[in-house]
Amino acid sequence: MKPDSYDIKAKIGVIFQEVAVFEELTVYENIDYFCGLYIKNKDKRKQYIEDAIQLVGLEDFKKFYPKQLSGGLLRRLNIACGIAHKPELIFLDEPTVAVDPQSRNNILDGIKKLRDNGATIVYTTHYMEEVEIICDRVIILDKGKILATGTTDELKELAKIEEKVTVEVNNLEEKYIEQIKILENVDEVTYNGNILLITYKKGKNNLVELIDYMKEENIKYNKIYSERPTLNDVFLELTGKGLRD
Amino acid sequence: MFMHNLKYSIKTLFRNKMLIFWTFAFPIILGTFFNMAFSNIENSEKLEIIDIAIVNNEEFKNNEIFKETFKTLSDEKNQDRLFNTQYVTEKQAKELLENDEISGYLILEEKPKIIVTTSGINETILKSVTEEIIQISEIVKSLAESEIKKEIMAGNYNIDYEKMYKEIIEKNQKEEAKIENISNKNLSYTMIEYYTLIAMTCLYGGILGMVAINQNLANMSNNGKRISVAPTSKGKVVFSSIIASYITQIIGLSLLFLYTIFVLKVDYGTNLPLVILLGMVGSFAGLSMGLAIGTVLKTNEGIKTGILISITMLGCFLSGMMGITMKYIIDKNVPIVNKLNPASMITDGLYSLYYYDTLDRYFFNITSLLIFAFIMIYISIFSLRRQKYDSI
Repeated sequence: MKPDSYDIKAKIGVIFQEVAVFEELTVYENIDYFCGLYIKNKDKRKQYIEDAIQLVGLEDFKKFYPKQLSGGLLRRLNIACGIAHKPELIFLDEPTVAVDPQSRNNILDGIKKLRDNGATIVYTTHYMEEVEIICDRVIILDKGKILATGTTDELKELAKIEEKVTVEVNNLEEKYIEQIKILENVDEVTYNGNILLITYKKGKNNLVELIDYMKEENIKYNKIYSERPTLNDVFLELTGKGLRD
Repeated sequence: MFMHNLKYSIKTLFRNKMLIFWTFAFPIILGTFFNMAFSNIENSEKLEIIDIAIVNNEEFKNNEIFKETFKTLSDEKNQDRLFNTQYVTEKQAKELLENDEISGYLILEEKPKIIVTTSGINETILKSVTEEIIQISEIVKSLAESEIKKEIMAGNYNIDYEKMYKEIIEKNQKEEAKIENISNKNLSYTMIEYYTLIAMTCLYGGILGMVAINQNLANMSNNGKRISVAPTSKGKVVFSSIIASYITQIIGLSLLFLYTIFVLKVDYGTNLPLVILLGMVGSFAGLSMGLAIGTVLKTNEGIKTGILISITMLGCFLSGMMGITMKYIIDKNVPIVNKLNPASMITDGLYSLYYYDTLDRYFFNITSLLIFAFIMIYISIFSLRRQKYDSI
């Protein structure tokens, strides 16, 4: 695409990671300015602005200046400025960074609406739970290289984890931890505080076998539950657990 | 698109408190300080009336020119009154001088003589005035002789000498007044400072241009990134931002003119339209300098603003803002500096309106400013065209 490929550009919306709005313009004026770069018809633009404001839930803040908005509201304004012209392809670069849970929820709901209305969304994030909620297809990138692609289920199958069992148990002796490690299918055992976390490479009845073992050894526990691996586990499995810059 | 961007560019510029301070408020504040500081200096420099005496002998009584001139210069109703004159005998004059009651006295004998005991400013003024009157007397005498010859050659022997002298003196006085009015070379400190203030305001317009252009550049601001992905011509957006900056700048300059004229009571004289024209061209030059710095330097807006303000202040300093002597020193020793200094081009253009009877130097400075502006714009366009961003 060239800088003057205006017909293609008109169908694209970009929401940058850094908030890109004018400090000197109100919420309404900011959206009007950026939407005006795409939509020349004033009446049509007015309707589009109202739709965008409604989508991100800024109805009560139209006359506010960016400095008067909280971090979450500012992010929502940032999104409204990028999608007000109703683009068909939307790039969102970590739109929920440093946002409170309510605003994050609102933003994700808005993105789902855009998706449901037919827009194609390219969503960049480090929050895997957001990916699981809104993405149909996922690409895991690390240091500029594609590590894996597929649906969330397909990616989970790539992980070498089948099941995760969490046990809340007090003062567990070291000898029991060592014994659990050598139980069938067990991949890794960690014990932090009173949480015992056991990951299994494969197998379907791991939880039953663990309960049997604990009953046999008379180990008292408060809570026990089993989970399927999350996308976060897949991400860590593929990119490694070492700290990044 | 053009009008849409122009409207919002003007809004953002007018609502930017930092910009409004530097381009609108700062020159007005500085002008107020200049007014307070320099008007006091000028007031303190106003001459006190000098006590003198004139020996009222026959020679003086018969010398119309001396008599009338000192009468005028000693008139209490005259705003430019220089002397408090006592008409006395020579003996009395000597006594007054010995008692320090007068600065000196004038005695007309074969030649006019000034008697003083010290050589201060009062004595110098008395001496200068006397010498000037002697010169005028010589001119009048020469003109009178010429007029008499003309009358005799024409066969008119009934000449009214008194009337002729009066006509010649009046004519001479009118010529003097006319010359003084045209040249008006006694430009006050305050006016010189106001000229550098106008130059500074014009060049501060560069901050407006720089901020406006930064908002459109993807490598300089987040808003620039957003604008660069929109389906709009970069040229149109940049051009409308420049126009918005210029409009804002001209409004700022107009406010300065209105404030100095109506509040500080600055008299720009009959050349006000030319002063305004120079201000507009100077603003264009300032704006273009801001654009060039904005596009060429790859650093943040704060540093660019600092650089622009520093260049402007240095330019104004070299053109005489902190003392007109600096301009003379630069003009004498390194004239090329002020030839390239836009602040100096503006102040020089303004001085030329007062120091020269023709507008040649004024238009030379206007042309220099335009050339400077077009070079800056060329650099900006060249720099903008070289900027390429990653395309999707």
